Amino acid sequence: MAERMQLCNISVNNFEQCTKCSICTTVCPVAAVTTDYPGPKQAGPDGERYRLKDPAYYDKMLKLCLNCKRCEVACPSDVHIADIIQRARMSASEGKRASLRDTMLANTDLLGTMANLVAPVANATLGLKPTKLVMDSIMAIDKHRTFPAYSRQKFTTWFKRNAAKEQDAYAHHVSYFHGCYVNYNFPKLGQDLVKLMNAIGYGVHLLDKEQCCGVALIANGLYKQARRQGQTNITSIRKSVNDDHRQVITTSSSCTFNLRDEYPAMLDIDNKDVRDGISLATRFIYNLVDDGKVKLVFKQDYKRRLAYHTACHMQRMGWQLFSIELLRMIPGLDLVELEQNCCGISGTYGFKKENYERSQAIGSILFKDIADAQVEAVTTDCETCKWQIEMSTGLPVENPISVLADALDVEATRQANNIN
Amino acid sequence: MRMDTVIMGGGLSGLTCGIALAKRGQRVTIVASGLSTLQFNCGSMELLGCIDGKAVTSPLEAIATLPQGHPYSKIGTDRIATLAEQAKSLLDDAGVIMEGNAAANHWRITPMGIAKPAWLTLFGHLHIDDLNQLPARRVALMCVRGFFDQPNGMLANGLKELGFEVEKIEFTTDDITALRRSPSEMRASSLSKHLVSNHALLRVADQINSLTGDAELVLMPSVLADEEAVRTLQSMVNKPLRMIATLPPSVPGARIQTLLRHYFRMLGGNYLMGDSAVSGTFDGDLLTAITTAKLGDMPLKADNFVLATGSFISRGLIADYERVYEPVLGLDVDADAEREQWTRFGVLEQQAYMGYGVATDNNLRCLKQGKTISNLHAIGSVLSGHDAIKMGDGTGVSLLTALAAAQDILGNK
Repeated sequence: MAERMQLCNISVNNFEQCTKCSICTTVCPVAAVTTDYPGPKQAGPDGERYRLKDPAYYDKMLKLCLNCKRCEVACPSDVHIADIIQRARMSASEGKRASLRDTMLANTDLLGTMANLVAPVANATLGLKPTKLVMDSIMAIDKHRTFPAYSRQKFTTWFKRNAAKEQDAYAHHVSYFHGCYVNYNFPKLGQDLVKLMNAIGYGVHLLDKEQCCGVALIANGLYKQARRQGQTNITSIRKSVNDDHRQVITTSSSCTFNLRDEYPAMLDIDNKDVRDGISLATRFIYNLVDDGKVKLVFKQDYKRRLAYHTACHMQRMGWQLFSIELLRMIPGLDLVELEQNCCGISGTYGFKKENYERSQAIGSILFKDIADAQVEAVTTDCETCKWQIEMSTGLPVENPISVLADALDVEATRQANNIN
Repeated sequence: MRMDTVIMGGGLSGLTCGIALAKRGQRVTIVASGLSTLQFNCGSMELLGCIDGKAVTSPLEAIATLPQGHPYSKIGTDRIATLAEQAKSLLDDAGVIMEGNAAANHWRITPMGIAKPAWLTLFGHLHIDDLNQLPARRVALMCVRGFFDQPNGMLANGLKELGFEVEKIEFTTDDITALRRSPSEMRASSLSKHLVSNHALLRVADQINSLTGDAELVLMPSVLADEEAVRTLQSMVNKPLRMIATLPPSVPGARIQTLLRHYFRMLGGNYLMGDSAVSGTFDGDLLTAITTAKLGDMPLKADNFVLATGSFISRGLIADYERVYEPVLGLDVDADAEREQWTRFGVLEQQAYMGYGVATDNNLRCLKQGKTISNLHAIGSVLSGHDAIKMGDGTGVSLLTALAAAQDILGNK
């Protein structure tokens, strides 16, 4: 009886475990810069009590939540505060249509496909002052923002033309969930990953069908579309992991977090059977090195000083250790680990005109830390952090995979792993 | 992943131990499930505050009289003075500047206005060496308009009982008024983020200087983010100014945690926030690896492990309907078997459960089914045999057991 009572005491998102200690509010980057946002305790578990009574208690200021999950990371009682807030936003938006601006920002792959076709024109146009002003006034996309440049060639096109054929020759195999950013904006990161994986004896393959992971769709309230795309992705991942016995690796912390954790929590997509088969590439490679299965050999003359920024979703996954420890294997790399603060962009949030100032205020602590660190570049596992930090500090930002690929002595590594 | 030492728990004891080890070149990872009870710390450390309800004046002398099961007795009372010195200088190195010494307690003032014995108190915060010789008579108690975290009436009454003449002075500034737009979050931590710039501090100073008349000492809630802000405001106010801790979450407590964590990272330590240890693998009398919730199939292996998971509030100990247990590794605990013995009716009475914790040998090494685990130390609030509330020994036990365990691990006890 007693045992059964205790089992009944478990609530959705650990809602009942909140002790009202308010620690979450002290770490909320939004509450720190604006009084419009009620803070995670009030927006989450406290507000939920009212909303359970009557949904009309929903506070529209909940849209200011970045979904950075820092409240959850700080919570000593494991309450899924941000999930409670996101779920509340979801119920409140039922039956409502997202605005054109939000739909456009959220559909990163549709936008990417169109822009790739006309990349030089798109890049030039998006960078023009008149375009920016039109977007600012009509679309409410802040004029300070620069859209990440679109690549002329998609990653998948490059891959099929230049790399796909050789991949079967390797002894081991993985599938690569490249995500929208690698595909449309920055194929080099995908190329770096292929270079790195091939050097340690792993063939890289595309999934049967990959769609945008949907992180931006969720943030902009396009839940149905996110669920549809999520189901397509999980079907492809399931085939890769369960039938082809190929782990799925990624180079974006937010895609990874979305595929593993937000799919079940936000979209009710059951991924239990494949969740462990989805990993960030740094974690995957670190484990191989740690188990003694592969060796990495780095260039003798490599010398750089970089700062590592832990992206919010990376921190929520608790995986920064893998990227950091992997980078620390590079002998010539002087790595500074920055205090974990939000950069303020939170995907599409910072692109919206109404959020621009708040976004920059949130990031200001991080930008100061970066300036104080006196480094030549920053490294982080998240592409939107990259845009924000590059725009706000002027320093280049690289994915740890690119740093590793750059520092790697490819020939020596292939030899060390007995690859011809 | 292989480390020299893995510490479960990232609060005061875990961080102190981690810093002591990392300083000596060890590769250390701390697994911390969320922020710790340091967030509730008022900015003071206590070595030993009370025995049998009586305030202790000389903690070092009083510690010698503690029963055998107390963590201080296990460390060895002859080592306490040295460890206390080391703890103070470790805090100092991390940028946590505190005043006080282990030979004689001073008095800290709680947010409710009660004087309690303490060993160290953060720079700029009110502490009194001798209650018969108050540092001032006429005190201006600055009360921030609309502020949640300071019970002004109780605080003023408490100060009056100590012998101060207290005038409560309500004040506000534009920066503070702007904060009141958020009805639920007029809290100490919010104020600390908005009273940062010199302009904001100057506006506070102007209010204090114009309102405090003939007061000899000005007290204000501890809502300034760091030591620098305290010094700046002190220099702007034309009377002695001291901070008084607020209700939690406490700004000085959070500050201590941030500084320690920052220092630990600077020394090359890994701090995994928001992750928690879930199980361990044993080989004979050794713990060989632990798994965590987030790292999943990647166990953390190490030569030494430290359990610093805290007491019930931090879930280092769990009580269900039948038993008290240690949830991560299933270690032996010192606790009464019968549930009726755990608690007494009056909430303020001495509660037996406060003394419960994991069982250890005299080197603070944990026991599992009666056998010592030779590479697993327990430190801080998860230990049995002390009572942070009734004895005022919580922070001292955390700091000193952390250093003692670190010395044992480094083999130079």
